[in-house]
Amino acid sequence: MRLIIRDDPASVGDYIAKYIAKRINAFKPTPEKPFVLGLPTGSSPIPTYKHLIQLVKDGKLSFKNVVTFNMDEYVGLPKDHPESYHTFMFREFFSHVDIDPGNVNILDGNARDLIGECKRYEAKIKALGGIELFLGGIGEDGHIAFNEPGSSLASRTRIKTLAYDTILANARFFNNDIALVPRMALTVGVGTVLESREVVVVVTGQRKSLALSKAIEEGVNHLWTLSALQNHPWALIVVDEDATAELHVKTVKYFKSIERVQDEVEARHDLLKAQGVAEEVNQVGSME
Amino acid sequence: MSSPNGLVCFTNCLIPLEDGSLVEKDLWIDERRGVILDSQQTFFVRRERPDRVIDLGGNIISPGFLDIQINGAYNFDFSVYDGHDEDYIQGLRHVASKIVETGVTSFLPTLITQETSLYPKLLHLLRPVSGPDAACVLGWHAEGPFLQLAKRGAHAPSFLRTAKDRIKTFEDVYGADNLADSEDWLMSSGPNSGTLGVRVITAAPEVDGVLDSVKDLTSRGIVYSIGHSIATTDIATEAVRRGARLITHLFNAMPQLHHRDPSIIGLLSASPHLSPPFSPEAAAALVSQVPHSPVSLVSPTTAQARSEALDDIVTPPMSPVVKATRLASRVPSLQHSRQSSRPELHLEKGQVADMEFERPFYELIVDGVHSHPNSVRLAYNVYPDGCILITDAMKILDPNLKDGVHEWRDGKRFVKEGFKLYLEGTDTLAGSVISLDACVRNFSRFTGCSLGEAIKCATFNPARCLGIENTKGTLRPGADADLVVLDKQGNVQSTWVKGRQVWARAN
Repeated sequence: MRLIIRDDPASVGDYIAKYIAKRINAFKPTPEKPFVLGLPTGSSPIPTYKHLIQLVKDGKLSFKNVVTFNMDEYVGLPKDHPESYHTFMFREFFSHVDIDPGNVNILDGNARDLIGECKRYEAKIKALGGIELFLGGIGEDGHIAFNEPGSSLASRTRIKTLAYDTILANARFFNNDIALVPRMALTVGVGTVLESREVVVVVTGQRKSLALSKAIEEGVNHLWTLSALQNHPWALIVVDEDATAELHVKTVKYFKSIERVQDEVEARHDLLKAQGVAEEVNQVGSME
Repeated sequence: MSSPNGLVCFTNCLIPLEDGSLVEKDLWIDERRGVILDSQQTFFVRRERPDRVIDLGGNIISPGFLDIQINGAYNFDFSVYDGHDEDYIQGLRHVASKIVETGVTSFLPTLITQETSLYPKLLHLLRPVSGPDAACVLGWHAEGPFLQLAKRGAHAPSFLRTAKDRIKTFEDVYGADNLADSEDWLMSSGPNSGTLGVRVITAAPEVDGVLDSVKDLTSRGIVYSIGHSIATTDIATEAVRRGARLITHLFNAMPQLHHRDPSIIGLLSASPHLSPPFSPEAAAALVSQVPHSPVSLVSPTTAQARSEALDDIVTPPMSPVVKATRLASRVPSLQHSRQSSRPELHLEKGQVADMEFERPFYELIVDGVHSHPNSVRLAYNVYPDGCILITDAMKILDPNLKDGVHEWRDGKRFVKEGFKLYLEGTDTLAGSVISLDACVRNFSRFTGCSLGEAIKCATFNPARCLGIENTKGTLRPGADADLVVLDKQGNVQSTWVKGRQVWARAN
């Protein structure tokens, strides 16, 4: 696992956007072989979306051959509700980039057969060859997607009851009335996320610092579902300084040193590539 | 340069919302159907996104302006009929195709008082038309002949009349088929019609028979507007209670604001304290008290040269002739109901007590001449949601007309000085020649409100007054894609009707 620390949320967004752009461009996606990208909602990824939009506007990135799968959606909330994740994704991202609407996948929280909807979602991911890169955020309780504390770390896409903490946290979007907050959501499982070839998680703000510490400094634990990432071969967490508040100084220093080494390794590989030395294909895993 | 899939996205632009704010947001339209799209639904349900993207460089994209009172423009006068239908229709089309340069995409041709026999013919010609590449003709606005002589403005006194037989008189004058129920009226309008049509009648409620016709007119879908009137507060209020929805060119051709009897202008701040149930008998008693032309005529000047809206008669300072107190003492039921109107006070700050009726919309001519900037701000601050900007323009309205001396008619000439028109050699104002886009800019300057709030007064407010706010004057999904692109100073850059660009500023 790699942990990248940046000064503030904007720099975090800039880093992740450039990282994703690099991955998509290196993949050279085509209509036959699209890049499959997992996407989150919430406030943490907004700076990332802003920077991705700018890259598209500057002509440095295109989403024409990118297929997206969103992590989750509320159950029973109309698609055009201002707080639905359909609305969020359209407003914050999809309306501003050149993605084909036919390539966008978001769980339908109003499907008559919710279980069938989840199964179809998993099948579609599989049919496309799995997710290349899953971008995620976490909740204050360490949940990834709506995989609340106690979720199975092998879980697949399914119906999930929201934790009371999450309902309270989301009440601010629903007139501060917890009675209006949906109680259920459809969400990809921890297993679904772990199955993607690469996972990138954004964690910003002091409120998320305990969750970050639990996820990376302690053992794998279903009460902090993000900790399952410790079993993933190619995971990247990008955080701001505020989010490191609960980490040990030793941890922070260690990960900062990895970043320096990583830069050196990448520079050497670029040099080798330029000299025509064949690069090992399909390398998966960080270079720590 | 059309879009392969027929969808167009305007981006990098500001959008005026219905609350008067301006927000950065894309606008999606369907240029083939000529409507505004729900972009999110188009994306997720139709699974399409616009093939054509237009970068507006930070400009504002607003619903096209609506002018609900305009007498003519580009040298065509809606009130002049030479006996040939074709000439008239062509003149109308000429105005509709030219006026888009002022940001207007819909207008309501307004007839000043005519010889009675002309009405059925003229109103029949004024059916709704959405011509290609031209502004939409919404229907008609008949100003007269049921007007108060003392406030006649430029209306010919000999043509003014009463409505003795109430709605029957209205039908006799305007033609019964022109006053038919909305649907029947539209049905008979021929193949060239749109599905949307509005009719407005300006009449003085104190004129015999008018007040008793308001309910009939309203029930047929006609907008009744109070104007050219000396109605007292009580009569004006009763007119609103019966359905009056609009005040014609506020401040002009009506009594000045008098604190003891604020008359028509006072309707803008109609008090919740005075909204009692009102018996028809009491109303009848009121009307019978009003003398027909009680104001002494002070120096009546030649009417034809004056603005239609400006008073040609100087109203004495005590302008509301029938004092409310005197009147009320004669009608005991009034006194009684007032006392029992609002029995309880409430404790919620900022919450104004409910009214029995909605306050009427009001038209303002914001050329700096017909209403002083202070008066414009006064009205707007009192009731912002009711404010409607109009030009009330004469046929000489043409933004391309240079300042200087121009031929008029009957061998007379006029001098154009910006938005002011004088008869040559006099300081007599010859009417309004301001364009609606200039009114919007003036309004923002006069009141200090934002450009977005000024735009609302030329788009959403008039549309709401006419009951067409789902299709015109709004950017709601499904509304007509009638649009005007403005720079941040309110200057028109391009105009679109039904999804097609019909005018653009030459670079």
